[in-house]
Formats: sequence, C-alpha cells, structure tokens
Amino acid sequence: MKWKNRGKIPAIILTVVLLVFLLFPFFAMISTMLKGGKEVYTSPPYWIPKEPKLSNLWSVWREYELAIYFRSSAIIALGAMVLNTLITVPAAYAIARLRFAGRQGVLYLFLVIQMFSPVIVVISLFKIVAGLGLLDTYWSLIIAHAVFTISFTIWMMNGYFKSIPMEIEEAALIDGCTRVQTITKVMLPIAVPGLVTAMIYSFIYAWNEFLFGLTFIQSKPRMPLVIGLYQFVGRWTTQWELLNAAAFWALIPVLVLFYLIEKRLVAGLAGGAVKA
Amino acid sequence: MSDGTLHVPMRHRFWNPEARLAYVLLTPAVVVLGVFMFYPIVYVFMMAFSETNKLSQIQGFAGLANFVELFQNREFWVITGRSIMWTVIAVLTKTLFGMVIAVLLNVKFAGRKIARMFFIVPWASAVPISSILWRWVYHTDYGMLNHTLRMLRITASPPIWLGNPAAAFAATIWVDIWIGIPFMALVFLAGMQAISEDLYESAYLDGVNWWQKFAYITLPGIRHIVLIATLLSSLWTFNDFNTIYILTRGGPANTTDILITSIYKTGFEYRRFSQASGMAVITFVILSILSLVYAKAYFRQEKSG
Repeated sequence: MKWKNRGKIPAIILTVVLLVFLLFPFFAMISTMLKGGKEVYTSPPYWIPKEPKLSNLWSVWREYELAIYFRSSAIIALGAMVLNTLITVPAAYAIARLRFAGRQGVLYLFLVIQMFSPVIVVISLFKIVAGLGLLDTYWSLIIAHAVFTISFTIWMMNGYFKSIPMEIEEAALIDGCTRVQTITKVMLPIAVPGLVTAMIYSFIYAWNEFLFGLTFIQSKPRMPLVIGLYQFVGRWTTQWELLNAAAFWALIPVLVLFYLIEKRLVAGLAGGAVKA
Repeated sequence: MSDGTLHVPMRHRFWNPEARLAYVLLTPAVVVLGVFMFYPIVYVFMMAFSETNKLSQIQGFAGLANFVELFQNREFWVITGRSIMWTVIAVLTKTLFGMVIAVLLNVKFAGRKIARMFFIVPWASAVPISSILWRWVYHTDYGMLNHTLRMLRITASPPIWLGNPAAAFAATIWVDIWIGIPFMALVFLAGMQAISEDLYESAYLDGVNWWQKFAYITLPGIRHIVLIATLLSSLWTFNDFNTIYILTRGGPANTTDILITSIYKTGFEYRRFSQASGMAVITFVILSILSLVYAKAYFRQEKSG
C-alpha cells in the first residue's frame, strides 16, 4: 500500500503548522501564567519568561478565592447532571421502546428544542425564576442547565436503548421482571456507555455555561467559575498572569471529561452516518 | 406500573398499559420543558405584542407596534444583516478549515492520533474561558498576536483589535470560527473513515491523482455529513452569544452586535423588554426554519442508513 505514503511529509508539516496556529492562545496562556507581574506588562512582550515560576498557579487560589467558584461550579454541574439524568432516562426509554400515540411527534419535539436559543428564552425565564424565588440560587442554574441539555441527552440515550436487542428485554419480562425493573436492571446496565456520555455532556454544559449564570447569579459565593473569571476581566486592573493561571485550572476538568466522551459526542451529533 | 408484554395489540392507542407507562415516563421531561422552555417562549411572544415596563411587566396590548418600530429602525436591519453575514462567513470558514484538517488526519502518518487530540482542544475548552484567553491575545500592547504580527513582519502597525469596528468584527468572528473548527474536522474525518478502502484502491489502480480521489470519492462519500454538520454549525454560530459578549460586549458602539447579543442588551441593559421580545420572535422564526431544514436532513439520513 505504498501509494498511501505519498504526500506524508507535506501532510505532517501542514499539520504541525496548523496546530501551532490554532493552539496560539494556549501558548500565550502558558507563557503568561509563568511570568511575574512586571514581565507581563512589558511591551513588546516575549514568549519565554525570563524567570519562569509556578507561583501564580498557587497564589491565584488565594488572590481570586478560586475555591469558592470551583465549589459553586461543581455543585451546579453535578446538580444539573443528576436532574437531567432523572428526567431524560425514563423519557428516552419510552421513546425507544414503547408504542404510544404521538411518539413521532415527541421525537421531533425533542430534536427541535435543541435549537431553542437560551437568549430567546432568558428574557422571560428570568421572570419565572424570580417568581419562583430562585434568583441568585444554585437551583436557578441547576434547572436551567438540566432543561437545556434534555434534548441532547434524550437523543443520545434513545439511540443506545434502541441498539439493545429486543430479545434481552423480552427474556427479562418472561422471567417475571416488571417493565420498570427491565429498565433499571437490564437496559441501564447495558446502556452504561451512553448514560455516562450523556451525564458527562450535561456536566460539561453546566460547567461551561455563561449566559444563565450571568443573568441569574449576583452574589459571589454562588457565582460559577466562568462568571467569576469574567468579573475579573472587567476590573480596571486585570492581573492577566493570575487570570491566565485561573483559566488553566478552570480548563483542566472539562478537558479531561471532554476527551472521555469526544468520540461518542461526535457520533451523537452527526447522526447515524457516523458510527462511534 | 404495568408488567405487560412488549407487544400489546393496539386496541386503544391512548389507553393501553404500554402507552400509559410511556406517558408516565415522559411526564417529568414534558412538565419541566413546559414550565422552563415553552412557557417562557409563549411569554416572549406575548411581550412582543405588548407594551412592557422596565421590570418586563406587560402594560397593555400593542399589536404590531413593536415590530413596526423595529422595521423602521435602521440599526435593526444593520444587525440582522450582520447576523447573516456573521453566520455565513463563519460557517464557510469552519467548513474549509475542518475539511483541510480532516484530509490531513486521514493520511496515515505516525502521531496523527496525538495531532487529532490537539486539534480538539479549542472545542473541548470552555467557550467563556477561551474568549477570555483570546481577549488577552488581542491586547494591543501586551498581547501576543500583535507581537507575533510584528515579529513575522506581517504588519508594523497592527490594528487595535477590539477597539476598531472592522478589526473587532474580524477578531470576534475568528474566535467563533476557531471554536467551531474541531467539530467540523472530526465529523468530516469520521465520515471519511467510513468510506470503503476498496474504492480508493480501485481508484489507485486506475491511476487517479489525490485531487481526483478527493473530488470523486471522498467528497461524494461525505456529502450528507457535510450538510448536517454545516446546518448544525449554522444554528450554533447564529446563536453565539458568549464570544461576542465576552470579547466586546457588542462594541465598539454596537458594531459587533448580532441579533442574539442585541436581544440580551436591549432587554437586560436598556430594559426595553418588548423590543427585545420582538427581536427574539424574529430570531425564533429564523432559527425554526433552520431547525426544520436540519431535522429533515437528519431524518432523511437515518432512514437511508
């Protein structure tokens, strides 16, 4: 298969050039977070810190009180993930396995709401959240994030449930399982990869979400991480070396989680033509 | 709860044990969606046809007045036009970059798995955090972009990226593009890898060059995936609030606003909720059309295989 090797070297060179080009802001992040305050505010700037130091990475936890924001984001993301799972797993099972009037309509509905823009909804969702007394609470974001990931997770779980052979479930029913038991004891264990993907997806979504956090949360102890960092940019003296260090920490959990689900995510988004 | 068999004869389409269980299982999702998604949208429609005060309370029926006001406002048309331009330019550029990267990663060189991992980073990162990182990269005096442009002698006097209208538009749209490239690349790559090797081998025997292979085997093979990915990307791009709001907040002087950021600012900053709702309704219609096209393409694919 020698023909495949033709053009390898140019491809490798182009790949490296593109990567350097596309990862540019991360190089800048690493360079900046290793610099001291004076080095950061030197014009023209330079890439390699003269005295590289890791102290920003530690001091940012104290200076920006990062732990508060991490805690808020963790509570919100875990809450949204759990709520989303509780809502979507039964619904996905119903769509995948049960025959009922209006099934096709429900299926379309869940696909189409994926496109409902949070910005369109937020103008009046704000009123509803305020009316329920949930402004400036974790619950406001837990609910909003769980709702806005319903579409994707139902879609994902539906695909997984459908791929499980009918015979397995039938056997369980004949053995005397109730329908609900077949879901919890037979279907879910088999669909674990899909379930994990859906759960991680809703966690990441909640961790990264900006608009609802910006609108619903005012007080610092409940502020999610991305909103906290955004507030620091707005300050009249932004300490960019600390902000870049904070960004570094904020990215680690989502990068790790994203790599776990990346392949199934692509398959889920692009549909049946791409197999995981 | 029913422990019925899998195939209940459909005597009663609504009221057999199987359907009853289905409705029970669907209830939580439907209730939550109803309260937190459909009701807000209905309310936005109501506000769009009403007068509202600064607390977004409805004061009275306004008919089409809000829409008339919008349509007579030149700024509205400028922003709508910019939203369309924003979406078209960004999606085309993402598709182009995505295609190039997919073709590269489809070449079986050592280390391509690692390269693939690195290409994903902009997508895997949190959009608000990436936008903050880019804001620093674009910094006029201390940012690495202008430094690099000078070093490579591309320009001696680089623009004030986020302070000048044209430059700010280029800077914000680039960040949106940059975030969207990996998704395109991965989806295209997955499509390319699903194409049978036999096709390429017989093409090789026929002595075709790489461009012919790409144009006559690869492209037709991934045509449908490209369609779905670009439609999905159009929806995301049209909806991109985060990059613009974090980089420029729509500024300078609203020159980087698109509909989605303008709706938010009109509502929560200028407190003109009925105008914001009017724009939201128009945006809703645009997005619905796009969604329908997407859903159609998606289901056609599911059916064909």
